Amino acid sequence: MLKILIPTLMLFPTTWLVPSKQLWVTTTAQSLIIALASLSWLKWTSEAGWTSSNSLLATDPLSTPLLVLTCWLLPLMIIASQNHISPEPINRQRTYISLLISLQLFLILAFSATEIIMFYVMFEATLIPTLIIITRWGNQVERLNAGTYFLFYTLAGSLPLLVALLVIQTDTGTLSMLTLQYSRPPMDPSWSNTMWWAACLLAFLVKMPLYGMHLWLPKAHVEAPIAGSMVLAAVLLKLGGYGMMRIMFMLTPLTKELAYPFIILALWGIIMTGSICLRQTDLKSLIAYSSVSHMGLVAAGILIQTPWGFTGALILMIAHGLASSALFCLANTNYERTHSRTMLLARGLQMILPLMGTWWFLANLANLALPPLPNLMGELMIIVSTFNWSYWTLILTGLGTLITASYSLYMFLMTQRGPLPNHMIALEPSHTREHLLMTLHLAPLLLLILKPELITGWCF
Amino acid sequence: MAYFVSLFLLGLVLGLVAVASNPAPYFAALGLVVAAGAGCGVLVGHGGSFLSLVLFLIYLGGMLVVFAYSAALAAEPFPEAWGDRSVLGYVLVYVLGLLVIASWFWGGWYEGGWVVVDEFKELVILRGDTNGVAMMYSSGGGLLVLCAWVLLLTLFVVLELTRGLSRGALRAV
Amino acid sequence: MNPYVLTIFLLSLGLGTTLTFASSHWLLAWMGLEINTLAIIPLMAQQHHPRAVEATTKYFLTQATAAAVILFATTLNAWSTGEWAIHQMSSPATITIIMLALSLKLGLAPTHFWLPEVLQGLNLTTGLILSTWQKLAPFALLLQISPALNSHLLITIGLLSTFVGGWGGLNQTQLRKILAYSSIAHLGWMVMIVKFAPSLTLLSLLIYILMTTTAFLTFKTLSSTTMNILATSWTKTPVITALAALALLSLGGLPPLTGFMPKWLILQELVKQQLPLLATLAALSALLSLYFYLRLCYAMALTSSPNTLTALLPWRLTQNTNPLLLSATSMFSLMLLPLTPTIMTLLTY
Repeated sequence: MLKILIPTLMLFPTTWLVPSKQLWVTTTAQSLIIALASLSWLKWTSEAGWTSSNSLLATDPLSTPLLVLTCWLLPLMIIASQNHISPEPINRQRTYISLLISLQLFLILAFSATEIIMFYVMFEATLIPTLIIITRWGNQVERLNAGTYFLFYTLAGSLPLLVALLVIQTDTGTLSMLTLQYSRPPMDPSWSNTMWWAACLLAFLVKMPLYGMHLWLPKAHVEAPIAGSMVLAAVLLKLGGYGMMRIMFMLTPLTKELAYPFIILALWGIIMTGSICLRQTDLKSLIAYSSVSHMGLVAAGILIQTPWGFTGALILMIAHGLASSALFCLANTNYERTHSRTMLLARGLQMILPLMGTWWFLANLANLALPPLPNLMGELMIIVSTFNWSYWTLILTGLGTLITASYSLYMFLMTQRGPLPNHMIALEPSHTREHLLMTLHLAPLLLLILKPELITGWCF
Repeated sequence: MAYFVSLFLLGLVLGLVAVASNPAPYFAALGLVVAAGAGCGVLVGHGGSFLSLVLFLIYLGGMLVVFAYSAALAAEPFPEAWGDRSVLGYVLVYVLGLLVIASWFWGGWYEGGWVVVDEFKELVILRGDTNGVAMMYSSGGGLLVLCAWVLLLTLFVVLELTRGLSRGALRAV
Repeated sequence: MNPYVLTIFLLSLGLGTTLTFASSHWLLAWMGLEINTLAIIPLMAQQHHPRAVEATTKYFLTQATAAAVILFATTLNAWSTGEWAIHQMSSPATITIIMLALSLKLGLAPTHFWLPEVLQGLNLTTGLILSTWQKLAPFALLLQISPALNSHLLITIGLLSTFVGGWGGLNQTQLRKILAYSSIAHLGWMVMIVKFAPSLTLLSLLIYILMTTTAFLTFKTLSSTTMNILATSWTKTPVITALAALALLSLGGLPPLTGFMPKWLILQELVKQQLPLLATLAALSALLSLYFYLRLCYAMALTSSPNTLTALLPWRLTQNTNPLLLSATSMFSLMLLPLTPTIMTLLTY
């Protein structure tokens, strides 16, 4: 663990001590080296499920893909922010990069914690850097509103979780993920246990976000600067899914009955948010709602509680993390050129940015789950497991897939195809930096086709 | 003796009513003096003659001067005595309240008895309250130093608050 | 003010609190409280400003009332049980009266109305003394009588205080009033737990003092008393502004910062005492407080308000105040969370 944590900590002195000219290059390089080093976690040697453990931190097949995704995302965020942050004063650039680094630090600690309270503390700790990134470096006035929504939705959901965790700790004497599944007595269906069940899940369902508790997400995505949107879509939402998978063990056998309304809400949310996407005019908002829709599928997969459901959820989380982050980057390349998120104002871009059009095409295909991509594996496994649970869910999931395809197509056609408006002729060409960014997003996604067992979690 | 004590108790209560009914400052000071004197009398009635003597001297010597001084400072051209309408209202309310409470507790509350300082009925040399004072002086030295410090502190506080001609803290209001 | 006189006042301020700390006899404890009140009064009215005088008068009246009630209750206790020792209170009626008097002295919820008004009238240094040092003596008494207190009363006062503190601060734009409401909310947390785990009360008090010192010293450095002035403070000292935003979030109790520590431990203790519903309510009431801290952060660090050209100058000038205390308390109020076990060991007795 320290192999990754100490270099991550050392990123802070790097950021503050390098000469200002080499700031972006150095931090990108160092974080990329960390990301490459983190790939060694994927080499699986342990028989026992947990590995690289010390007294507080360990990795297992569930957390490893998310950890690697976290490490992978930091250089991408730095590359993506370069254009709009570098005109600022040097100290603000350094503060911004430090915030991104602290986010990675907290996320690594959250995903690798073996104590649930430690996971909780780190889960909450990610709020402050994200809040500052959204409200300090967002562009519109509404960013303050978005920050408040983000903070208070998450906290209002997660404070009952803290109390519930403390209750569990008082009952069982431990909150270690390594032993809790053996020592926890099953929950009896009583009123108070039902409340604790809801408290345990609600925090993560708000974070996911479940349809109905998702209002903070589009606001936060729309107002955040590019790095904020990327990390929010790629990793922070996955904290919710990860936490749910971890805490599910303790909630048997209550979940079997109590999960019904949440599964239905999640599946219904796929349809609803997909339909909202179909009539969006705001590019970032569209991608944000598409995140909500995909996360609904993940939530359903986790709540079903079958091995296929869990595996599908994890695969979809990783794949969606890369794909939605890529889409946000693409939206940002548009935004940096036209300074508007409105899709109507940036049409027909394929004419002037043809290679970018290719990236749009690939990212859209990933988003709508084209066959060989891991997105499809995830969606298919979740759809199969929900189908196994009840035949009727096929209507919802099938319709959801159709709608996903439609709005992805809508987004692609709207931004890339068609005649070029006259006011767009003098756009600057795409940079190598942007192509590199997209390559680094889509290459892992494509490579995962060849070895998907890296991200299948416990069941491979 | 019992009549005297009753008289003093009545004086104490009436003195308190006189202060509480919010008349002009120097009438209130007068009421306070009456209440204090009557209180000393009550103490005598329960055997604390030494303490009450000390208390009475302190009132006569120190507080009366202070009262006279501060009453002169706050002299008003048309002071309100207890006969004025606003003050009379308060007086009546308090007296009525007293009567109600007294009738409520009438009979049975006095039997509880007060702590009497001296149990001795005959003539003795040692008295309980003088003993107590002697004890305080001999073993409560630290407390006395503390009290002296508090007096000094209070003096400075009062001076600091009333300092200055027109912009002293309490006059600026 | 004459420096000698000031010295006497400051010494007596210390003397009063230490006297209350050291006493086991109610009379001496009461004397300590009164000395404390007397000594701070001229410091409060130092400016001779009408607001300051008004605040002084209000403070004097409330404190004198509370002290008189304490004296009354202890006399009553001595009369009925013959016992003057602080830690041997047995009569429930007197101990309840003392608790209410102490809550008036501290500014806890049903009797909190004087605190924002008084704090608003003072300058920031006196306000700092009022909201840190002046809380110590009543808390020393509260900790000593806590075993005999009625837990329902404590929980009611505590929960009411956290809610009132959060609710009252929502509508304020004056920093000192906001800090007063924050004080009410924090004291509510401490009182809620004082019966179950007195060492936790001590810990929360310590952490609260550290955090509120940071806040007061920051506002003093930036010489700001309203949110508007705070909004233009980013030009003066950017680093302090950035750290102060985090310190405010720490006051609000967000996890990786120090402010989360007392809340976490208190919630844990409440759960151990089979009071999870109370724990949930208290936790949710912290959200109310967090809202106005967040608003302060928005105004101070997360938005940069337009400024005049001359206002951009001060960062070139060197400050002649000693930054040691502020920097130390800032660091403490941001980074103590990993040291939680150590601090708990220090405070457990």
